[in-house]
Amino acid sequence: MIMTFNDRIFGILMLLLAVAYGWQAQQFPEPFGGAEAIGPETFPTVLAIVLGLTSLYLIVRPDPDNGWPWGKTMIEIVVAIVALIIYTLMLEPVGFIIATTLMVGVLCWRMGAKLLPAFLTGLISAIVTFVLFNYGLELTLPLGVLEF
Amino acid sequence: MDTLNYLMQGFGVALTPMNLLLALIGCFLGTLIGALPGLGPANGVAILIPLAFTLGLPPESALIMLTAVYSGAMYGGRISSILLNIPGDEPAMMTCLDGYPMAQQGKAAEALAISAVASFIGSLVACIGLILLAPALAKFALTFGPADYFALFVLAFATLGGITGKNPMKTLLAAALGLMMSTIGIDISTGNQRYTFDILELYEGIDFIIAIVGLFAISELLFFIERRISDGDETIKVNKLKIKWKEILAIIPTSLRGGVVGFVAGVLPGAGASLGSFLSYTIEKRMLGSKNRFGEGDPKGVAAPESGNNGAANGALVPMLTLGIPGSGTTAVLLAMLVSLNITPGPLMFQQHAEIVWGVIAALLVGNFLLLLLNIPMVGIFVKLLSVPPKYLMPIVTLVAIVGIYSISHSAFDLYFMIFFGVLGYILRKIEIPLVPVILGLLLGPEMEKNLRHAMMLSDGDWAVLWSSWLSIAIWAIAIIGLITPYIVGPMLRRRMRVKTADEVTED
Repeated sequence: MIMTFNDRIFGILMLLLAVAYGWQAQQFPEPFGGAEAIGPETFPTVLAIVLGLTSLYLIVRPDPDNGWPWGKTMIEIVVAIVALIIYTLMLEPVGFIIATTLMVGVLCWRMGAKLLPAFLTGLISAIVTFVLFNYGLELTLPLGVLEF
Repeated sequence: MDTLNYLMQGFGVALTPMNLLLALIGCFLGTLIGALPGLGPANGVAILIPLAFTLGLPPESALIMLTAVYSGAMYGGRISSILLNIPGDEPAMMTCLDGYPMAQQGKAAEALAISAVASFIGSLVACIGLILLAPALAKFALTFGPADYFALFVLAFATLGGITGKNPMKTLLAAALGLMMSTIGIDISTGNQRYTFDILELYEGIDFIIAIVGLFAISELLFFIERRISDGDETIKVNKLKIKWKEILAIIPTSLRGGVVGFVAGVLPGAGASLGSFLSYTIEKRMLGSKNRFGEGDPKGVAAPESGNNGAANGALVPMLTLGIPGSGTTAVLLAMLVSLNITPGPLMFQQHAEIVWGVIAALLVGNFLLLLLNIPMVGIFVKLLSVPPKYLMPIVTLVAIVGIYSISHSAFDLYFMIFFGVLGYILRKIEIPLVPVILGLLLGPEMEKNLRHAMMLSDGDWAVLWSSWLSIAIWAIAIIGLITPYIVGPMLRRRMRVKTADEVTED
């Protein structure tokens, strides 16, 4: 039995999106100066129809699924995404060098590098990028807590 | 002789020391990007766009550097095909067929040298084709009305999946998604807010550079994690090059033919570089008849697909430069670059920004020579870099992408947006929704809507205007054929390509 859930579920989501998007387009206020032959809602309406029709096709004739990486791999992927989000949070308050060392280090480590080389790669790439940007290109990356 | 004049001016732009240096850097980075498996040309160019911005380069210099990256990536794709039997990018797939056997027979250096020469010839042929065809096409395109343009945009989306594409409906769906994203923000002609949800950052719309880098680079990182590729692959040792002139001369006719076939495939909508290299390989095999040893390490079997894919890469620039409508992911990214430099590609560019167009074309020629020079003696360096394990490489590539995006506007919001697009890209790729139409939609959306608006205003709201001229009818017809053919010939063509590359392709 070939699984076809991905396409069907995605198709349903896209159909909902098409309806919401198309409906929203009809709510745009009439532009200043009165309605013209073509308003801000015309193009979005056409797009909503195209998306709606193609997502219906997907629901009716789905392709076989690609497996999702459940379990450990999924956790690794989530870890990577969280690492990127935490990096963005840390970047300005904590500073570029520390945040980058941690982010690159964690990514290298989770991708299979040993701890020491992983964080060393992080530190070196952080310093090189920082120096290159702040002195070479004269763009300021935040120094954060390292600032005196 | 106008063309020649312009071309000389173009050389004037391309040969300034600064631009020459940038072209050299671009060629080097491009080859590297092309050589590393999984880091395709579109991805590579996308990561480098924000960096070109931060360098504060003038438009022609930025474009020259990125065109050099583009042609470099096409050269680079062959290195991992030959040494690892893994294509660095999709069009380099066919190069595995004879390149890898040659390397196994201890002729890796010869295979690399021959493929570099073939790439060079293929690019050169296609460059000449570009110089001859582009101005004529641009002149013709000036006669297009808004309705014709609208149809042309539809054509671009309809054929984007290519005739080997799997599911044209998914291409359309992806295009609709991208176009929908392009409508976010303040409507230019009425000032209405659309889909901004009162979020200040959305008023100006979605920055496509952020979307591109997120969709390509970040999703690639997630894919590497999923496939648990952490160590580099064993490369075949490169022997000392001992190639005779006779061997190089022997592949010249093959490369010339490959260049022409590739160029045509690149210009036509729906064909592209992968088909270019496939066709050139197949045609060459047939032409040589029983004399060929294709598949067992025939030098001509290396030359044919390489010249084909480089020819196609340059051919693909024709619709991008003259019509403003790219036919591939990488040319879409180059278009993004132009748009963000406030240059609207299309026929008018040839008049208003002649120095940029011809500077870029001249840069292609110059870059081609640089690449040949760079690739034969320095191939060892690329081979070394190829053995950097992805577990270190991918995090660093991610860092470069992040720094590039951050340096555009120093905003954390942009970074969250990029991460969001990365996750979205990962999910879309899992469901086999192609990413290129999404990006193209985001890019072309405003122009497409503008043309629709103009056409409809001229006709006072009559939709029939969209198919009222012969030209637009012809374009619609091609678009429809482009949508239907994949269902008919697609399975057959794909099967043949698969038989040829049997179990040599790591990912489908």
